[in-house]
Amino acid sequence: MARMKFLCDAERCIDCNACVTACKNENEVPWGINRRRVVTINDGKPGERSVSMACMHCTDPPCAAVCPVECIYPTEDGIVLHNKDQCIGCGYCFYACPFGAPQYPRVSNFGSRGKMDKCTYCAGGGGPEAPSSAEEFAKYGSNRFGEGKLPMCAEMCSTKSLLAGDGDVIGQIYKERVVQRGYGSGAWGWLTAYHEDVEV
Amino acid sequence: MNGSRTASNRSLQWGEKITEPVFESKNDYNTIYMLARKLGFADQMFKNIKVENGEVSAEDILREINRGGWSTGYCGQSPERLKAHMRNQHKFDLVTLRAPKDDPEVGGEYYGLPWPCWGTPEMRHPGTPILYNTDLPVSEGGGTFRARFGVERIVTRKVIENGQQVERQEHDNLLAEGSYSAGSDIKDGYPEFTLGVLKKLGWDTDLTAQEMEVIQRVNPNNPDLVSWATDLSGGIQRVAIAHGCAPYGNAKAHMIAWNLPDPIPVHREVIYTSRPDLVAKYPTLPDAQQFRVPNIGFTVQKAAVDRGIVKQFPLILTSGRFVDYEGGGEESRSNKWLAELKQQMYVELNPADASERGVKDGDWVWVMGAENSSKARMTALVTERVGRGVAWMPYHFAGWFQGVDLRGKYPKGADPIVLGESVNSLTTYGFDPATGMQEPKATLCQIELA
Repeated sequence: MARMKFLCDAERCIDCNACVTACKNENEVPWGINRRRVVTINDGKPGERSVSMACMHCTDPPCAAVCPVECIYPTEDGIVLHNKDQCIGCGYCFYACPFGAPQYPRVSNFGSRGKMDKCTYCAGGGGPEAPSSAEEFAKYGSNRFGEGKLPMCAEMCSTKSLLAGDGDVIGQIYKERVVQRGYGSGAWGWLTAYHEDVEV
Repeated sequence: MNGSRTASNRSLQWGEKITEPVFESKNDYNTIYMLARKLGFADQMFKNIKVENGEVSAEDILREINRGGWSTGYCGQSPERLKAHMRNQHKFDLVTLRAPKDDPEVGGEYYGLPWPCWGTPEMRHPGTPILYNTDLPVSEGGGTFRARFGVERIVTRKVIENGQQVERQEHDNLLAEGSYSAGSDIKDGYPEFTLGVLKKLGWDTDLTAQEMEVIQRVNPNNPDLVSWATDLSGGIQRVAIAHGCAPYGNAKAHMIAWNLPDPIPVHREVIYTSRPDLVAKYPTLPDAQQFRVPNIGFTVQKAAVDRGIVKQFPLILTSGRFVDYEGGGEESRSNKWLAELKQQMYVELNPADASERGVKDGDWVWVMGAENSSKARMTALVTERVGRGVAWMPYHFAGWFQGVDLRGKYPKGADPIVLGESVNSLTTYGFDPATGMQEPKATLCQIELA
């Protein structure tokens, strides 16, 4: 069974934010909620690197482990989805996530959180809504995956830094790149997300 | 609106209308048509362009460009060919840009028919993805350096003859020597093609009777002077390419621009320089009348040095672009997805300069320009992206002036989501001596905590 993963090749990311914009536009994500963002480390210094990050759809996701209402679960394709009807906006998943992926709309003046929102791998939602329905789109955004398509962010990446797809396939693409250019950054986040390094 | 668009790699695409013009506005074609009608020459201007119920035909506009665009090789890209490229996008190779030779519609063509796409559309030239490439025949997208500046240049040189220094006029050959594109019948340099050149080569007999008739019509008094760029039949281009030659000739690269103020670029200090000690050795060009206005860069530079401007404004100010915004930013800042990425105008400041001024990352600062007591209020981004002594600003902001938010002055519904100070309010005097382009990239400023 194919296992869906993200891989951001930090040797290629140019911090153009096209992935962020593609995600926003594809899923109509409101202002202030960032399912994906580009983080730059060592800004302005030698060794500066940028990396595009969102929910990594972890193996054994820590967010699911801590969720008190068990609304987060991995699908058989390895995509981590959640059910907004069950979510109580407690924020535990935010503390558990090593990547800062879960986002919460502010729903009142007292700072209480709304229902958690995060990257769905453009695979719709984890609730009872019919796949690709208007109800599903309004709550979770696009369901490209149901149409056999990959997430918009990776599809739009102009340098092919951000890869999405079957972990074996994108791992192989990355290995070939590393062999071609020599080991650079390591595949960012793989060790944390999948408990495995990329063997070269 | 429908129509062709040209990208900076010289390739064209056919675009389809996405949305109707908003409010009472009209698309550009119809606007120009209405203006031409008001001015009384619409019949002439649109003689060959169909207008139906006030709607101008986009296809006819490109055909009109094709009929007149010989000198730029903008002649072969008909609307029909471009539409075929859009239909067959998936067939073009991502690296070579070329479609397989056996394809019935776009076989052997380069995506978007990058100009020069020689001759008539019927000639089916594939376009020229690389301007200078002698490895390919011209008919396959190859090319040479254009013989734009004549065949020779007369230079006066000092030479030693019999122990005496004398001045001699020497004729430098500007044409290529021993270099030519693949399949060329002329194995050397050659000038731009005219009917006269074709006659000398004996190739004028390859022109058809119709082509000859058009050439005669272009210049009835001296048809020999009609060139590849003015021959409206395309015959001269066709014959040159049939013999493997580039219509615009085959010359050497033009490395000395003798018609510019500095034929070979030399260093000249900017007008407001942080190194006034270099101005004596590397001054800007003398004051001069440029078109209808004086260019007094030299006087301004001298005054700035004499007044010791750099002591008051010690930081170099330069400007640049975001990857996520475009141009003046009025459009990008009106798009909610892009506006969210950059929500504030800022100035990048080196940590050393920031600490001297007591500025922390995110603090509000005043930036003062070197002319007219100009000032602008924005936040500071303290970063090592800029070196010590340099401040950088994006040029995508407008809508604030000297610390005042002018949102209320926009027409209702036309104000962008994000507004900010414009860097242009701080930049200073300076104009390019050849083009008149303003100096938006190098000046001085001072920054203090707001």
